Amino acid sequence: MRLVALDTLAEKIGLKLGQGAAEARAMCPALDVIAADPAADQAFLEGLADWCDRYTPLVALDGKDGLFLDITGCAHLHGGEKGLVSDLLSRLFSLGVEARATVSSAAGLSWAAARYGNMAVIEAGEAGRVLAPLPVAALRLPEETAAALERVGLKQIGDLLEAPRAPLARRFGSLLLLRLDQARGAADEPLSPRLPVPSFAAERRLAEPLMDEEYILELTRHLAKDVRASLERHGEGGRLFELLLFRVDGRVFRVRAHAAMPLNDADRIAALFRERLQAVHDDLDAGYGFEILRLAVLRSERLDPAQQDFSGVPEESQPLAAFIDKVAARFGPDCLMQASLAESHLPERAGGFAAVRNVAAVMAPPGSNDRVFPENRPLRVFAHPELVEATAEVPDGAPRSFNWRKTQYRVARAEGPERIAAEWWIDGEDHPTRDYFRVEDQEGRRFWLFREGLYGREVAAARWFMHGVFA
Amino acid sequence: MAENAVQRQTILSLRDTIARIENCSLPGIVRAAKAADAAGFRRGSEGTFHRKVLPLGIGPLDDLLKGGLPLEGMMEIRNAETRDAGAAAGFVAALAVLYQQERREKGHLAPVLWISQALACREAGQLYAPGLKSYGLDPERFLFVAARTVKDALWIAETALAVPVFAAVVLEIRGNPACLALSESRRLNVRARAGHVPLLLFRQAGEEEASSAFFRFQIKPAPAGGRPLPDGSVLCGSIDHPAFHLLVEKSRAYAAADIFLEWNAHDRRFYPLDERRSAALQVNGQPENPVDPLSAPAGRSRRAQPLGRLLAFARAS
Repeated sequence: MRLVALDTLAEKIGLKLGQGAAEARAMCPALDVIAADPAADQAFLEGLADWCDRYTPLVALDGKDGLFLDITGCAHLHGGEKGLVSDLLSRLFSLGVEARATVSSAAGLSWAAARYGNMAVIEAGEAGRVLAPLPVAALRLPEETAAALERVGLKQIGDLLEAPRAPLARRFGSLLLLRLDQARGAADEPLSPRLPVPSFAAERRLAEPLMDEEYILELTRHLAKDVRASLERHGEGGRLFELLLFRVDGRVFRVRAHAAMPLNDADRIAALFRERLQAVHDDLDAGYGFEILRLAVLRSERLDPAQQDFSGVPEESQPLAAFIDKVAARFGPDCLMQASLAESHLPERAGGFAAVRNVAAVMAPPGSNDRVFPENRPLRVFAHPELVEATAEVPDGAPRSFNWRKTQYRVARAEGPERIAAEWWIDGEDHPTRDYFRVEDQEGRRFWLFREGLYGREVAAARWFMHGVFA
Repeated sequence: MAENAVQRQTILSLRDTIARIENCSLPGIVRAAKAADAAGFRRGSEGTFHRKVLPLGIGPLDDLLKGGLPLEGMMEIRNAETRDAGAAAGFVAALAVLYQQERREKGHLAPVLWISQALACREAGQLYAPGLKSYGLDPERFLFVAARTVKDALWIAETALAVPVFAAVVLEIRGNPACLALSESRRLNVRARAGHVPLLLFRQAGEEEASSAFFRFQIKPAPAGGRPLPDGSVLCGSIDHPAFHLLVEKSRAYAAADIFLEWNAHDRRFYPLDERRSAALQVNGQPENPVDPLSAPAGRSRRAQPLGRLLAFARAS
């Protein structure tokens, strides 16, 4: 067991990373050793990244213990760069997180200064002056490069800045120069935010935390009005909305709601979240309340403005879309399904149900779809055909009687066989052929039975299956 | 004399209330009394209340339903055993086709919503889109929900009834769950009438239970006819249009005998089975030596008869 992380107190005692746990205990008997859990650390870091969403939507993870925040254009909302950093640090401190932060014009410079320096804000021209006294490890170099640099006496970044570039590149590789340029702000360094930036968003910061669901919904409606304005300006409607709820203790809840058609009406957006909040009710622990609410539009589509008629009766697709949204918000987007037909001989593939994605498809007038589908298909089929014991003429005869679900049925009439071969391009060539029979028992129940395999050619003893029931 | 008139008025108004609760036209006396209003005023449309119906074109059934299928409110269709679910589903789907067709004739492309308890789907089989299409339903306008629990199914049904989009809403429930008792069925009926949507409650493998449905039919399968040949004879051993055996368990009018129907998916309408075949089927169902000495009860044919008079159902859910 080796130490992988230390707190400030442990560092003061003189413990080192990579030291054996037993040795550390010997140095300090009262040492509290906690088993490392990288997954939990990662989850915590992501939670913090979520929390940092309050400052900027562009948050990128940096390794195991750092976050990059792109605050371009956001600083003035939080009282300037200094104000932002002090606000961030004081809030994190009250959450019990020990953190360091630096604002600068380059990601590399911020990284170096936050870990090895002690400046909160670095002005544009000061990069060289700040970097010079820092150790070379602050350049985010691989360990062996850093060690090699130290061996030749280049211990501080200042030494590197003065040294000629060509020999450095020849001896230590181009990465060193790239890192150096990135730290000086001479080379561009793209950050990859962990979440896509929503195209439209509105947020509200509250002086008093909010706990009541009714108030949350009311506020959501207000936010939806703000979003609507920008949606209308672009002629778009949202299809996927996200409500971010920042709890006072730093936890962030994300509630997503799908809309069946592009939406920009505030009341309907709020209605989406009314159902959604009911559905996630148990998971949404308000605790001491939420302090920031943000409504973001993650996906939007073109929405042509439609004129309502004077009677005020909405178009038919609108109540249907509202219904679909309501059901989808409560039971998930795949709950409501629409019949879908496919061109396949195999009955399982020929028809099924797929989630309703678009309302327009339901309300559209029937197209000139001339695809021919076989008649005489049952109304209900079993998801897994059920094995039955049947007595039938060999080789190709219809069943005379069969046992299904522990009951015997005597066949009065039968139509068939309808021979359906397997689709060899999907199932492979040795998949057995099926012979389907439509049979009626003596009381008038109509079933769809099939024999799997052809006698003599494919199988020695064929099995019979119950696949469906007719009306 | 004055006291008499007051009593009479009270009784009339009570009858009026009952008639309104039962959603049927006013009884004759009340109507006559209303027409001859003492003050000489005619009261708007109350007396001439017409229920909107969809005639099925089958005499005995239309008489039973007082004109035809109601266009709003709840109707119950049940089957006794799971293995009969195919026939019952066929009857329900046929009604849905009729409702959809009725809306299409008015110029609306209305979808049908089929809400199913997931358990019911697993036991009796899932609905099959090509089968529905060949049965006459419009597969593009067929929405299906598999609800995990009965409560979820009820919630979806209630939400759907408030939306004036659906041609018909089918609620498929298995057995007699406790959360769909008389009060819930009344609630659904009221919602369906307020939303002007027909709600078909399809009780799979369930018992007879008191409900607010306008009618309750038990559906049993019946042997189908054979395919006709051009010369008028029947192709031996073939199976033509599906046939149903309807047992009327609850209705406003008296049902003299069971009804046998045939669904023609091509014409999208029911046809009565011809006399000879239905008579044969009626006889077939009778036990050869009836031992039950009690007379057949009015309104319900060939149920297992309890001794004495049936006043109320035991609660099945």
